[in-house]
Amino acid sequence: MPQFLNRKKVIFLIIGVILLVALIGLSLRDRQNASLPEKIVKDTVGFAQSIVAKPTNYVTGFIEDIDAMINTYEENKRLKSRLEEFGTLQAEVNELTVENKRLQKLVGKQDSLRKYDPIQANVIARNPDQWEEKLILNQGSNDGVKLNMAVITAQGLIGKVVQTTPQTSEVELLSTSNTNYRVSATIANKKKETNGLIEGYDRKRGELILKRVDSELSVKKGDKVTTSGLGGIFPKGILIGEVTKVSTDDFGLTKLAYVKPAADFSMIDHVIIAKRGTIAVDGVDGNNTNKAEDATKDSTTGAGN
Amino acid sequence: MVRYLIPVVVIVLFFAETEFSLFSPIEWHGHLIYLVPRFLILFLIFMAIYYDRKKAMIYGLIFGLINDIFYIDIIGLYTFLYPFICFIAGSTVKYIHQHLVVTTTLSLALIAVLEVALYQFFVLISFTDISFAQFLNTRLIPTMIANVIFIVLLGGGFKYLLEYRSYQRANRSIL
Repeated sequence: MPQFLNRKKVIFLIIGVILLVALIGLSLRDRQNASLPEKIVKDTVGFAQSIVAKPTNYVTGFIEDIDAMINTYEENKRLKSRLEEFGTLQAEVNELTVENKRLQKLVGKQDSLRKYDPIQANVIARNPDQWEEKLILNQGSNDGVKLNMAVITAQGLIGKVVQTTPQTSEVELLSTSNTNYRVSATIANKKKETNGLIEGYDRKRGELILKRVDSELSVKKGDKVTTSGLGGIFPKGILIGEVTKVSTDDFGLTKLAYVKPAADFSMIDHVIIAKRGTIAVDGVDGNNTNKAEDATKDSTTGAGN
Repeated sequence: MVRYLIPVVVIVLFFAETEFSLFSPIEWHGHLIYLVPRFLILFLIFMAIYYDRKKAMIYGLIFGLINDIFYIDIIGLYTFLYPFICFIAGSTVKYIHQHLVVTTTLSLALIAVLEVALYQFFVLISFTDISFAQFLNTRLIPTMIANVIFIVLLGGGFKYLLEYRSYQRANRSIL
């Protein structure tokens, strides 16, 4: 029976394990800011990755095109039925926009929470082990991307920026199971608006959980949920999804709603980072707000609790 | 030129992993299933068996570190697991027959070990709250199936390349 490990190897192994545990502990503590060597590695790999990603994006786009083509007939039928409705709605919206502008001028209100500059970005990688819902984009702090900015697709909100390097940025998707991940949201139906916080994701239902909604206000199935813009850096009015079920939370004090996300979280290849026009303010909620130097946390204290 | 073939294959597989992961998760019968590409470690396992355990461990260390920095921001996780898996793979050489089928089965078993170890780690630091049964159904089994396809397609090629290299090296040491 040959000896499996000799003494030298055992010592080496023990020291290695101790070092690694220390490293894991250290890097777990501060994951929002990358150190300089980390940034260098990230940018180098990111650059190579963005070259490799081009043909892949092409293939993904092609698959999506085929998918769209197969559904053309069905979709066309459905869209035609909604076209008439759309015409009247368009007229109404135009009227309201004009009126809104006039009224804003009257009050002297210049900037709106809704306004944002879009930064176009391509997805260059997705965390291969997929334990965390993360994307890596090819735009970084050199292009004006900052921590906690909203990331959207044509369909709606998908996540926010959690880390930036000069050339790349990392996005955590809404479907994360990170408990510190919150997005301040507004539920709007015809009569009034209510605020709440998107906190958590129900993996079984595939839906987001909207918590801390004032129980006196009525929230119904089918209500649209959008970002509220109250968190500090997110613009207002980005679609998050639609309410599918309403219940009360564990303590029975506030309401809880399940929200079906408008955006699709798989096969994402092109996103827009929303850089808000209005000055972003520092939030106070959450434990990582004050640690990050120029970061703001998207959360609100005035949300029904 | 053949000298650089192994590093090139390793780099290509490293990038291919992320590009393939862009296609996942897939919705299947109303459930999201995750296919995790494990191309790099499969190649390194083959390398540890057919070529050189020590070199495989060094590659594992370097690419584990890059993986940690670039994707998960927890330095030390893959940096440990990749060389560890290579070490186990290399240690089995003395005890088992190096037939392609045996190696393939062994490497798939090691992938399962890797996945379970990662799952346990992420449960430990409470990054995930899924149950083991859920993990088995939505992650482990689909991942295994996807990687079986990969290794069946390319395993023979890997074996040929690595054996060719070790044959070359043996020749050189004789000369």
